Amino acid sequence: MTNTLVLSNVTKSFDEFVAVNDLSLSVGPGRIFGLLGPNGAGKTTTIRMIVNITAPDSGTIELFGQRVTPELQDRIGYLPEERGLYKKMKVADQLRFFGELKNLKGRSLNATIDRWLERVKLSDWKLKKASELSKGMQQKIQFVAAVMHDPDLIILDEPFSGLDPINVELLKEIVLELKAEGRTIIFSTHQMEVAEKLCDDICLINRSRKVLDGTLRKVKESYGRHSVALRAEGGESVLEDRNLVARVERHSDEVEVYLAESADAQELLTRLIAAGARITRFELVEAALHDIFIERVGETDEQTAGSN
Amino acid sequence: MNKLLAVIKREYIERVRTKMFLVLTILGPFMFAIFTVVPGLLLSIKTGGPTRIVIVDQTDKLYDRVRTSLLEDKDDEDSAKTGSNAQALNSNVNDRTKEASKRINGRYAIERVTLTGRSLDDVQRELNLRISKDQLDGYVVLPAEILKDGKAEFYGRNVGDVITRNQLERRLSQAVREQRMADEHISESRVRELSKPIDMTTKRINDKGEIGAEDSGGGFILVFILGFLIYITIIMYGQFILGAVIEEKETRVIEVLFSSVRSFTLMIGKLIGVSLVALTQYAIWGLAFAAFALYGIGMLAASGVPFKLPPLPASIFVYFFLFLLLGYFLYATLYAVIGSMVTTAQEGGMLAMPVLFMLIMGFYLSFVIIQSPNSTFAFWASMVPFFSPITMLVRIVTQTPPFWQIALSLLIGFGTVVGLIWLASRIYRVGMLMYGKRATIPEVLRWVRQA
Repeated sequence: MTNTLVLSNVTKSFDEFVAVNDLSLSVGPGRIFGLLGPNGAGKTTTIRMIVNITAPDSGTIELFGQRVTPELQDRIGYLPEERGLYKKMKVADQLRFFGELKNLKGRSLNATIDRWLERVKLSDWKLKKASELSKGMQQKIQFVAAVMHDPDLIILDEPFSGLDPINVELLKEIVLELKAEGRTIIFSTHQMEVAEKLCDDICLINRSRKVLDGTLRKVKESYGRHSVALRAEGGESVLEDRNLVARVERHSDEVEVYLAESADAQELLTRLIAAGARITRFELVEAALHDIFIERVGETDEQTAGSN
Repeated sequence: MNKLLAVIKREYIERVRTKMFLVLTILGPFMFAIFTVVPGLLLSIKTGGPTRIVIVDQTDKLYDRVRTSLLEDKDDEDSAKTGSNAQALNSNVNDRTKEASKRINGRYAIERVTLTGRSLDDVQRELNLRISKDQLDGYVVLPAEILKDGKAEFYGRNVGDVITRNQLERRLSQAVREQRMADEHISESRVRELSKPIDMTTKRINDKGEIGAEDSGGGFILVFILGFLIYITIIMYGQFILGAVIEEKETRVIEVLFSSVRSFTLMIGKLIGVSLVALTQYAIWGLAFAAFALYGIGMLAASGVPFKLPPLPASIFVYFFLFLLLGYFLYATLYAVIGSMVTTAQEGGMLAMPVLFMLIMGFYLSFVIIQSPNSTFAFWASMVPFFSPITMLVRIVTQTPPFWQIALSLLIGFGTVVGLIWLASRIYRVGMLMYGKRATIPEVLRWVRQA
């Protein structure tokens, strides 16, 4: 099965500033792909190239197995980070306009609009002007505009920022429904907790370059083995052994033990018992995406700072 | 194509639905009338009672004539006919001024002061004092030699009042002329007869050498009105485009739009949509005017008010719309470019100044062209695309140039429009996604190459 999206060595610069540097990534069909990175990493520029708003300086972008063309835009749904609606236009009229721009028309378009407004619980606001809606409501309307034409690829740039928890849950639910329907979703954020819960694959970019990518599982596995959440009485001497334990972080009633390179958690457990420690909790902890993010972004920042 | 229609439809419907459109459509003609009529009326309105003037007559025989001439309730027909063509353009203003001044009774309060042995200096000192105390507005000194050398002096507080000054001069001339004839022993009745002004009718000769209907200067008024209409329409709808582009940038709607439709399609759709709004407005005005022409004039005539429409060939209306559209598309495209370069409406207004300046220049060029519509200067001025919407129209109304010139002017104009839209959509595409700061010209040039 061909990948939904393949970027090969894509570079884009604005005057002197290189926004995206030699970026390659591929997104499989029916996956939720997290495009992660700090502010200014080049996420939005990458997305703009995918939706054919701007063109790359070099490299190629393939969508659904072919080079991007304006026609392919109809198969993409895009929720930009910078939200915008026409302030004085009625909600239904805006959605109809955005739908028409995606080549929807007529009565079926009206039915689609009604169905989606119902889904995001905004049916009562259909005939109100956008300026009368709260920010969260406007965001939901924009979300509808991005998905109502049944696109094969949905790109959501920070879809949950500024939403209350109830609406975050609502949108998450819809995103998972869309995934179940077989749509591919690229979703850009710097909220790692959200990415962790939703994404199948991730790609982390920083300073216009790719830092790491792969399935969420693999990424976390490659980091997660080295930490143990431990609650125990005694056995302090074992934790001092630098061949086994890299460092220890003490919390209120337990410690987080970061194992040394090539050390095994099993060995730690045996040694602790041998040392007569009384263990009430011993749990292997996967590194949170949050920690991976901070660590890798920090590393690449240092590297680029060093090379300058 | 569907997308283009969607953009056009949105621009059109959202605009026609607004209260602003309704108000403009209804009030437009009134506002237009106010712009053209009121300045004329204002000039003729005399406030604060009659002008108090003292006549110091050193000839001892002119006073009565001057007094009669000044107080006489008559037109200054002799003057309106003189003067250059440029003045004739404003003849409608003059007409109204005259009309209005007729209605003002007692424009002057006249008083005679004789020297009776005193020196002229003494008398003047006394009069100056009265003027400074606001008991008098001015005085005219008629020297003894006036009948020979025709020199008089006017002293007044408000010498900036050109209207009063000219009228005084004309009426003094008349009095002096009559006195000279009287001195030649010509009887009073003959004097009147001899100084009767001529009445020149003007007729137009068309390309086929036929003599047309009488032209009472209506052509010039028409030029003024049509030029002004184009000017106002371009400014108004150009501003709409500017506002619309800035709104899409400010609200960031543009990002969604660009993810669905090409910038060229979006820009063309916007320009066409707004142009249809303008045409709708003109259609409404046109129908209202036609209804007025059919029924209103008849009713006015029945109730005794004469009103005659100047006879106009239909081709003028066709050209009017062609050049109106040309002007609109030229300037609206420029406004769209400016909109995509700036971040706020205020910045847009600033950057739009040079565009406005170009438009005003075209309007003023028409005053030059109206005097010699077939000169080389007029030819070139009507070929420059940013001036031609007004300048070529002026030529067509005053002295229709050969058809190839009109066609060439339209061709150059619409060719420029196509090139400009192409260029603009490239600037638009990049500029609309640049937030935060105003673009510089070198940046814009780079965008054109990049996009």
